Amino acid sequence: MNPSDALPNEMPGFPFPGRPGGEHDEPLLDMILGRRALPPDAPPEIHDLARMLAALSGEAEPGELAAEADVRAAFTRFGPMSPSGRSPVPAHVLHPARRPTRHRRPRRSGGSARRAARPRTRLATGLVAALGGLVIVAAYAGALPGPVQRLAHATVAAPAPPSGAQVTDKLHKGHAKGRRTHPAATPDPHPTQTHSAATPAAGSTPRPHYSPEVSPSQGNHRPATQGCGSDPWWHDLPRSPGPWYRGSLPGAQPDHCLPDTRPSKPPVGSNQY
Amino acid sequence: MIGAAFSVTLARAQGGDESAFARLFRDIQPALLRYLRVITPEAEDVAGETWLQVVTGLAGFHGGEEAFRAWLFTIARHRAIDAGRSRARRPTSQLDMEELTERYLSPDAADLALDTISAREVVALIAKLPRDQAEIIMLRVVAGLEPGDVGRIVGKSAGAVRVASHRALRRLAELAELAGVTR
Repeated sequence: MNPSDALPNEMPGFPFPGRPGGEHDEPLLDMILGRRALPPDAPPEIHDLARMLAALSGEAEPGELAAEADVRAAFTRFGPMSPSGRSPVPAHVLHPARRPTRHRRPRRSGGSARRAARPRTRLATGLVAALGGLVIVAAYAGALPGPVQRLAHATVAAPAPPSGAQVTDKLHKGHAKGRRTHPAATPDPHPTQTHSAATPAAGSTPRPHYSPEVSPSQGNHRPATQGCGSDPWWHDLPRSPGPWYRGSLPGAQPDHCLPDTRPSKPPVGSNQY
Repeated sequence: MIGAAFSVTLARAQGGDESAFARLFRDIQPALLRYLRVITPEAEDVAGETWLQVVTGLAGFHGGEEAFRAWLFTIARHRAIDAGRSRARRPTSQLDMEELTERYLSPDAADLALDTISAREVVALIAKLPRDQAEIIMLRVVAGLEPGDVGRIVGKSAGAVRVASHRALRRLAELAELAGVTR
């Protein structure tokens, strides 16, 4: 592009060499910027510009020194020889009209510390929530130690911690219905006659819903019962949905579909997938 | 500009002389306010914060008058940037820079005569320049800083500052002519 390609107002401020007012005025502009006296033969627009900028750097106008009293007070209070020395000064000292809370600049160290603490707080909260969830799940699975399980039983209606007599009693009274017994407990698989007489259906073998022989790790392995199809999704649900659940589980199976107490065949090896 | 008496005035102010500090304030405050009016709508507040920082850091300053001005205007620029960031974070009504410029800076056309033009009216004209050019002009003309000092403040080379200031002056001459200030 050359000077003849652009109209004067198309590229304002662009110094076209050779154009009047182009680079040739630079010494004069430097004289204005350096506050030096212009030569008398300088163009009138340069003189006008110099006069305009002289007004810009003129004396103080009304109101421009209005803050002097506040600044002097701040100097007396926080200046080099003040008792407070170089302590930080509140921002509203010089401008009482300003709200300190609105204009106070946050301390960077404190702000970064707070920012750094936020993820730690979230992480701790998440860990506590996850731990609590695990404890509740373990309580309903009956996998907690005895005292803790008793506490869970009392507070969130988790299964009571089984003892040998309790499990035997439950086996024969049918109270263990829908609850998995503690794997550490080994109920008597051959109840006595006295116990069997107490069963609701005389002569039938009491059947807890989960075989005591099935360890927790094998709990999901149940042989398919004839007529019940393969393991549906609800077999993975706890039979007792908890105290907050007032209805029946969806798709409740007939009793014969529930796993029996007979010693099942050895589970599929835990190493098989 | 205080001139030859600056070093004595500064030393007295650093020794706790309030009247010496007031002299420094009266010498620089008008230029500081005019500069800040070009770059921020909160000029008075930012000027107050600037002086606050000058008060607390005055004992540690070493240098001449130009270095003192460069230090003070650097502080002012940083505080203006902080104010801009704070303003961006605050939910405020739509009162943007253009409106503020119209309210506080725009001169009445009838008042724009070269013989009677005030600093505020010239600031209004300079505020119409591109932001970087306006800031450079204010630092060169109002603060009286050399291109090297201005370049260190605005992050440009001295040559770039010189070119930008020339362009700004040419553009300012055009604006003044359009506004009827000059012939």
